[in-house]
Amino acid sequence: MSLISVRDLKKTYIVGDIEVRALRHVSLDVEAGEFLAVTGPSGSGKSTFMHILGCLDRPTSGQYFLDGKDVSRLSKNDLARIRNHQIGFVFQGFNLLSRTTALENVELPLLYNSAASKGSDRKRRAMESLKLVGLEQRTHHLPNQLSGGQQQRVAIARSLINNPSILLADEPTGNLDTKTSIEVMDVFQTLNKERGITVLLITHERDIAEYGTRIVAFRDGVIKTDEKIANRRIASVELAALPPVSVD
Amino acid sequence: MTIFMTFRIALKALNRNKMRTALTMLGMIIGVGAVITMVALGNGAQVSIEQAVQSAGTNVIMVNSGNFSSGGVRQGQGMSNTMTPDDAVAIREVPGVQFLVETINNRGGQIVAGNQNWNTHVEGTNVDLPLIKNWPLESGQFFTPTDVLSASKVCVIGTTVKNMLFPDGGDVVEQIIRIGKHPFKIIGVLISKGQSSVGQDQDDVIYAPFTTVQKKMRGVTYIESMTVSAASADNIRQTSDAIAAVLRVRHKIQPGDSDDFMVRTLEDIAAMRTETTKTMTYLLASIAGVSLLVGGIGIMNIMLVSVTERTREIGLRLAIGARGGDVLMQFLVEAVVISLLGGSIGIGLGYGLSRGLTQFLQWPTYVSPQAVLVAFGFAAGIGIFFGFYPARKASALDPIEALRYE
Ligand SMILES: Nc1ncnc2c1ncn2[C@@H]1O[C@H](COP(=O)(O)OP(=O)(O)OP(=O)(O)O)[C@@H](O)[C@H]1O
Ligand SMILES: [Mg+2]
Repeated sequence: MSLISVRDLKKTYIVGDIEVRALRHVSLDVEAGEFLAVTGPSGSGKSTFMHILGCLDRPTSGQYFLDGKDVSRLSKNDLARIRNHQIGFVFQGFNLLSRTTALENVELPLLYNSAASKGSDRKRRAMESLKLVGLEQRTHHLPNQLSGGQQQRVAIARSLINNPSILLADEPTGNLDTKTSIEVMDVFQTLNKERGITVLLITHERDIAEYGTRIVAFRDGVIKTDEKIANRRIASVELAALPPVSVD
Repeated sequence: MTIFMTFRIALKALNRNKMRTALTMLGMIIGVGAVITMVALGNGAQVSIEQAVQSAGTNVIMVNSGNFSSGGVRQGQGMSNTMTPDDAVAIREVPGVQFLVETINNRGGQIVAGNQNWNTHVEGTNVDLPLIKNWPLESGQFFTPTDVLSASKVCVIGTTVKNMLFPDGGDVVEQIIRIGKHPFKIIGVLISKGQSSVGQDQDDVIYAPFTTVQKKMRGVTYIESMTVSAASADNIRQTSDAIAAVLRVRHKIQPGDSDDFMVRTLEDIAAMRTETTKTMTYLLASIAGVSLLVGGIGIMNIMLVSVTERTREIGLRLAIGARGGDVLMQFLVEAVVISLLGGSIGIGLGYGLSRGLTQFLQWPTYVSPQAVLVAFGFAAGIGIFFGFYPARKASALDPIEALRYE
């Protein structure tokens, strides 16, 4: 059984008199442990697809099985629970709370998890999460005291805190330079490999998509191509090959 | 999310915008402060009425010239000066009457002794006053029937007047003071009654024979009122009815016509004044309540701004698993924290203001625990009421759109 399984997914927006068919009929299976890169031109429905996979939105029709359970018709509160427990989001714009330390930003999802109510427990877990992304030295920095790459790593740490089975990232390197992008991709690859977290990554750039194990290309609300990647790029190897600059 | 965490998040958010929070709170502070002060004034008036009744004794009957309870149609009725010392002579004969004093006041005279001066009114009265008021003297004696007959310029003073005019102390009996342009000899000093519990100075008094005030100071023959004490509290009603009957005959009031006087027991007076006091309290409190309402609208306004400003934050919280209810609570608690904090400071302000009014203006005030509780409850209610709409708006946001919000 696949971790993610969508069948004939449709999403139609109605703006005034015009119907916008953001997703026409999308069917896809993603196995646990895959690193899926989603590409396609602007407006092809990538974000719409990811919002549905992330339980932020519900399809107009079609089914979505997450871990074997049909979640396409769940209530808002049930969806919130799934987002909190099973899914981690990483956004292009980081979306960290300003004037809030890295540690507190990472802690945030735990506040909405009734199983993690003890303050000391939350701190400890947030620390662990920051360590995973290599930012244990920056716990009390505010977002505006961190570089873009560091901010994105804080956001990744935040997405990891509830031990999700899926990480959804919508153009996470869109605001970053090449080297920082590779660093962030290294974090994703490590999490994917060592913790078995399934990663879905939206990107415009073919070379970023090649860090994944499989590429799915959208066009006009349908999947045009779906292929395994032959020569996968490995971020850690590329980083080691780069001329050493001052790190952190 | 625990309520404790919600409070911490709210405090943090409010702390980020200190100035804005403080200004929003100010609305609540002023509103609650005003309500507390107004209610304290009303309660103070009420307490002072009750105390007046208690200190005067239950078997006192007041007979006033004029009748302002007969309606405002006949102008001037309330000020008619038809009561004379002869009325008093007749009332002394009414069965059940024990003591009686005639009263006429002389207001607004400067009182001078040496280089000291003081301002208080002079109450013209009769020899039975210490008996009716149950008020002994600390030195000297009260004036005698002879003093009253001859309209002598003698007076008995309270300790406040004594201390103000003779700050060096010593025996003041036989000293001469000037009231207006008249020299008066002090013949006695009443013992101190101190402040009433609502802060009125009961020792700021000067008593002189009513005849002296009539003839030497005011140049009139009428008296303004009489204070009668009944022999016992039991038949006070009959006694006061009998007094009214005598006066009606003497003033030739036809059946069906309204009286040109009022005979009331202290309880009647208290009941009447309580009514007016209540009306006043409600009036003042509702005016103050309007400012509370304005404070509430201020909270709503600021919360709406805050929800808009923090749209992305709300979107993020929703995306990472906050339920609509969590977001609703977060903003509601913020509003309630503003209103409760503001309310608490307002209660403090109202208390301080009430104390100040009593201290500096001698207005009786009383801040009752009930008023404080009600004000606190009201503040919470306002926070919930005016915070609900913005909070509701925040919780109903669509996470995707909120995250996209610029
Ligand atoms: N809330 C909405 N209301 C109406 N139309 C929408 C809405 N959200 C998306 N769309 C439309 O759906 C289509 C797909 O949008 P989507 O955001 O999924 O594209 P995308 O592939 O993520 O593009 P990009 O690469 O630019 O981010 C677009 O035509 C867009 O205009
Ligand atoms: Mg997109």
